[in-house]
Amino acid sequence: MAETMHQDFDPLATGGTRRRLTSKGIVYTLLAVFALVYTAPLVIILLNTVRPLDDIVRTGFIALPDAETMSLKYWAEAWGTFCIGGTCEGVSRFYKNSLMMTIPATILSTVFGLLNGYILSKWRFRYDGWVFGVITLGVFLPQQMTLLPWAFVLGKLGLSNTIAGLVFVHTVQGISFTTLFCRNYFVSIPDDLIKAARIDGAGFWRIFYKIILPLSPPILIVTVIWQFTGIWNEFLFGTIFTSGANQPITSAIVAFSGSGTGERHYNVEAAAVIMAALPPLFIYVAGGKYFVRGLTQGAVK
Amino acid sequence: MKLTLKTTLRATGAAIAGIGMTAAVAQAEPKTNMMHQWAQGAEAAAIAKLGEMFEAAGGTWEQTSISGHTSNTLAKLRSDVVAGNAPAAVQLKGPEIAEWNATGTTANLDATAAEQGWDDVVADELLSVMKPTGSWVAAPMNIHRVNWMYSSKKILDELGIAPPKTWDEFNAACDKVQAAGKICIAHGAADWSDSTTFDDVVYGMDIDLYRKAFQEADLDALRSDGMVAAFAQLRKMVGYMDDGINGRSWEQSMTMTFDGEAAFFLMGDWTVASANLAGYTEGEDYLCNQAPVNWGGNGFILNSDSVVFFKQKDPDFVEGQKMLAEIIMSPEFQVTFNVAKGSIPARTDVDLSTGGFTQCQQQGLEDLKASVAEGTLVRSMAHNMTVLQKYRGAMMEVITEFVADDSISPEEAANQLADAVELQM
Amino acid sequence: MPSLQTSRQTTRWQRRLADLTPQLVLIPTLVVAIGYVVGFSLWTFWLSLSTSTLLPDATFSGFDQYARLWGSKRWTVAYQNLFVFGTLYVLGTLFIGTLLAVLIDQRVKFEALWRTIYLYPLAISFIVTGTVWRWIFHPNTGVELALHDMGWLSAQFDWITDRDLALYVVVITGIWHASGFAMALILAGLRSVDGDLVKAAQIDGASMPRIYRKVVLPTIWPIFIAVAVVLLQFAIKTYDLVVALTQGGPGVSTTVPAIVVYDLMFQRGQIAQGAAAAVMILVALAIVLVPYALWTGWKSRKEAAHHG
Repeated sequence: MAETMHQDFDPLATGGTRRRLTSKGIVYTLLAVFALVYTAPLVIILLNTVRPLDDIVRTGFIALPDAETMSLKYWAEAWGTFCIGGTCEGVSRFYKNSLMMTIPATILSTVFGLLNGYILSKWRFRYDGWVFGVITLGVFLPQQMTLLPWAFVLGKLGLSNTIAGLVFVHTVQGISFTTLFCRNYFVSIPDDLIKAARIDGAGFWRIFYKIILPLSPPILIVTVIWQFTGIWNEFLFGTIFTSGANQPITSAIVAFSGSGTGERHYNVEAAAVIMAALPPLFIYVAGGKYFVRGLTQGAVK
Repeated sequence: MKLTLKTTLRATGAAIAGIGMTAAVAQAEPKTNMMHQWAQGAEAAAIAKLGEMFEAAGGTWEQTSISGHTSNTLAKLRSDVVAGNAPAAVQLKGPEIAEWNATGTTANLDATAAEQGWDDVVADELLSVMKPTGSWVAAPMNIHRVNWMYSSKKILDELGIAPPKTWDEFNAACDKVQAAGKICIAHGAADWSDSTTFDDVVYGMDIDLYRKAFQEADLDALRSDGMVAAFAQLRKMVGYMDDGINGRSWEQSMTMTFDGEAAFFLMGDWTVASANLAGYTEGEDYLCNQAPVNWGGNGFILNSDSVVFFKQKDPDFVEGQKMLAEIIMSPEFQVTFNVAKGSIPARTDVDLSTGGFTQCQQQGLEDLKASVAEGTLVRSMAHNMTVLQKYRGAMMEVITEFVADDSISPEEAANQLADAVELQM
Repeated sequence: MPSLQTSRQTTRWQRRLADLTPQLVLIPTLVVAIGYVVGFSLWTFWLSLSTSTLLPDATFSGFDQYARLWGSKRWTVAYQNLFVFGTLYVLGTLFIGTLLAVLIDQRVKFEALWRTIYLYPLAISFIVTGTVWRWIFHPNTGVELALHDMGWLSAQFDWITDRDLALYVVVITGIWHASGFAMALILAGLRSVDGDLVKAAQIDGASMPRIYRKVVLPTIWPIFIAVAVVLLQFAIKTYDLVVALTQGGPGVSTTVPAIVVYDLMFQRGQIAQGAAAAVMILVALAIVLVPYALWTGWKSRKEAAHHG
């Protein structure tokens, strides 16, 4: 609906042809300049994945690879043979951990978010505003503050040093985000729809399956993208609450920022960083369209 | 056979004394999980060697390496203790050993130490750190020397400068280097590296002041004229650095020096390990000398890595702790680990002339002995070997701010230093 | 007949259960949220009043740790930075995000390409973001070196090593990371604006920038609020970005509260003081959120009164 109305409106169609051309020129120039700035970091990392270490150390990070010395072997090393924490299997072995942590936590937090959003927007009750407020406040708690309480809770639950523990922590923290997103989206679904269904005798679950769920894909995509990238990229909990073979991929590449006293393999680390960033990058590239579309129908109103 | 018998006997002893689970002990299989921050490169390789030796002795080895910042290691340790599963072995150092010991969560190593005669072979200066209340709670892995001055042979030769021995000579040398259009001091600013430099300065100017201020956190010493003079020297040295110190790593500073872009680099002996790996040659690319001291003689600022063992319920892990402690203290491991790390063994009875130690490392051991004989050995504040972390942190904040902010006068800095420490008392 | 009665009871019970379903479904979340949000916050507050050092400890010691915290220069700088950084970061991101959204809204070709380019930084972790931007901003490795190599020897670009400007480097990097997200939301909003509104304004002879400023953007203000909330939580939690970019330096000039909390609690073994710092972060949050909550409350009451 919104899109069709929008078709009638071409912002650049105002004014004469010449003015339109200069506006076009300005628009594309600005877009290109921003695009350059936005892609530069990625390009720099990519270039450093093929440069030998002595080249990087001697000429800095911002330089083109030398055609004679450049090599793809650092990618292979990062994937399969680089030593991280005494095990020389590259980042490949951490991939599984990250997936086993991210996928369940994303699904669980999204499911809870959907239900909470549905209840808080369509089954209003006394103090529901307070409940929503408390849940949303969760997005603001600094991680550093929650480390010790989480450690205590995980210890009591017997989930210390397990991926299940990480799933639990990320699900609880994620619910704050997903509830916020979903509630604000469902508010825009007309209450009349729900009322009519209730008059027809539909209950809580029936309305959820028949009305809410079919309308949810846009916000589902948004929360899934958001949760997946957020959980995938998180390193503090992964580092602190798991060890050894259970750690997620980000813990393995934290050293990238580090100031340790050992020597650094910048090229291998750069390749590892790209590998670690691939799943979220893929999700954004593939889902970017839906992300914007989902937000279109969601966040407004 | 002998090992198995010995192991079983010792395990039985431990069980009777501590846990009383005699039945389980007969099958005790030594296991360990060591938590440390050496995730990469030569250090990780050295730890891997520890693992191999542990497995060769019949144990099951696991490790948790946390790369990057020390605070991540400490955060993990705290979380594990709070969660009720303290790790079997953790890399911890300095006053933290005493602090953790005071919480009652650490294991006692006295039996192993007595059996192996640790008291006779470990450097005296380390004993008070490893035995905070008279009992062994930590096994030292090495001794790092903090007060090295590495210099670019190329620049010194070109300008005809001899490695300076006092801070006045150092300043004169820097004036010469700067006049020749080169950078005098290669430095990468961070709280620990700024403080490393300041360790050298205070120690080199007044050793008693160093002891009072940095080992005892004496407020009057921190506020004294001597400290003002030390800050004045540090301010002078900041002027001998280039503008790029912020955000530069210490390895980059090392490269700058050894490639002949900068004349001097004040850093600990872990530099040697990195230099070896990067292919620099001692005596050709760089020289190593003691950082300047105004009082003549040999000086040694000490830093040491060690492993602390936490109480375990599982007899397998208890047994593993004993085995790990024995291996860490074995001459064989001390050689392997320290060759890789650039440091010298914590045992004073290891021969450094064989096994691949560099000239600089051997010099380090000689200087250590001389320094002990002259009574000039101190522990490093910057590397967390003296005062509690809360005082060290407060001191480092002031020092790193002083390096970063020209508008702070040496007098103000000395006052801030004392105030910051007093605030945490 | 007992069986009939049982079944009637069951039905009533079922109906009551059905009425309560929403609340029942909400219970797990509620328990968790109260435990997590309220419980963890209270626990932290309680720790901040204790003598905890290396490990949590229950001995009460009052507000000592707050006094010590506020006596330290590093903390006052960090707290101030939180407000400066937070404000510039949120406003800057909203501004750049709006600009990009408006540009893309001009029916440009390759829209998907532009959108993906601006959006991808959000997929990159803060650690990597900070590290790469440090290379770019550092005079020895980045733009300044490149300009020197190109022959412009007097070129100077050393914000990251200047204690007065380094915080802006953190702001710029933060904006780079998040502006794509703002762009996506605002673009979504622009697409939902009623075309007739714009047409009417065009007929009145208003110029395009003016139409955006006066007509289009004001209608999507709820989106700006939504984006601001998400950005605000990023700003308050900022930790890894600064650690990787400047490590809080030069000196302590770019330290942020989360770094202080982590250092005090874990590096220095001052859990009580770290907890006090965490409580102060929550106070900062309240300084921003409470007025907003009051304002929304006041506005909805006014609207209700108006309608009534």
